[in-house]
Amino acid sequence: MAQQKSSNSRNNPVRTARNASNRPLGFYLLLGAITAVGIGGLAYAALKSGDAATVADAPIPSGPGSAAARGYMLGDSSAPVQIIQFADFECPSCARFTTITEPDVRSRIIDAGLANLIYFDLPLPQHLNSMAASNAAACADDQGKFWEMHDQIYARQQEWSTEATKNPRGPLRAAAQAVGLDMNAWDDCFQSWKHRGRIEANAAEAGRRGVGSTPTFFIGGKMYPGAITYDEMKAAVDGARAAAGAAAATGSGAGQ
Amino acid sequence: MKRREIIAALALAGIFVALYLTLYKMGAIGELSCRIGSCETVNSSRWAVFFGAPVAAWGVGFYVVVFALALAGLRARFADSRRLSLALVLLSGWGVAFSLWLTYLELFVIHAICQWCVVSALIVTAIFLISLRDYLAPGSPEDAARESK
Repeated sequence: MAQQKSSNSRNNPVRTARNASNRPLGFYLLLGAITAVGIGGLAYAALKSGDAATVADAPIPSGPGSAAARGYMLGDSSAPVQIIQFADFECPSCARFTTITEPDVRSRIIDAGLANLIYFDLPLPQHLNSMAASNAAACADDQGKFWEMHDQIYARQQEWSTEATKNPRGPLRAAAQAVGLDMNAWDDCFQSWKHRGRIEANAAEAGRRGVGSTPTFFIGGKMYPGAITYDEMKAAVDGARAAAGAAAATGSGAGQ
Repeated sequence: MKRREIIAALALAGIFVALYLTLYKMGAIGELSCRIGSCETVNSSRWAVFFGAPVAAWGVGFYVVVFALALAGLRARFADSRRLSLALVLLSGWGVAFSLWLTYLELFVIHAICQWCVVSALIVTAIFLISLRDYLAPGSPEDAARESK
């Protein structure tokens, strides 16, 4: 019995550690180190992604944008502040922003006349059906119903996304029907891909501005990457409005 | 260091790599935005889901099993078990084959490389090679242990 115990202790790493052989101890230290690095790395990744929405801001590159890039405007074109949004119809965080945050933005910022919003397509390469969705929305714009279609496309994202289907046309068509579009015109437009140039130009405009993720917003010359909250957006709009007001005041002062 | 200790350490590292990719895929990490980059392309392709679960989640399960096997193999009861060595060889061999298939998809079908997927492929290859030696040269780690005593 005693002998068995001693032979056990020779092979059992925990007991051998007590026997002053430092190799098994080193093994457990190594496992501990790997665990520490692993947990630290995961925590860092989680914190970094949480910060993304608030930390980064960057000036918009100067110079004229591509003439072919044309966003879709929501609200009063003469509103004091412009919110520029780059978004991917198939991006889950864009859908989350659209369904959770955007209703507040519309009612309390856009409809209140504080700002207007211009939506630019940025179909990301990993989202294989996003181009089709942008195409579907552009065809709805032909009938003056881009925003109704925009809402339907985001609400139905899980029906037409890359993971749901290889052929998104059917579910996108259902969205168009729900909006109440002229389906003959929509079908012709969707199949012709006549808006492809506009969509690609909108994506190129994102590249020119250094956009690295969707959604990304530009408000008052600052870049806000990620699905920012209503409060963050309101603060950005208020800040941009105050800055524009101050600039106008200084400008008129200098003119006198 | 014993071979099975190295295997256990590699498997533990693999758990964290696969866990990171799983959390990323599930949106727990980086959920605020969709980024532009190769890893996103790979991790949101149709091949990133396997039998209803993210490929990376299968990876976590795989590494947990390898880790548990390697730890068990360090205990006196299984120290000389050839069967356990064979199980490690077969399991990690399957892992290598699966990683080869995924790497093929990345290179020739998706045309994007995800660096953490490459790290995982390297880890599983190392595990396979070490477990193969462990199986083909049985007892030698134990001999080494005895010599060092």
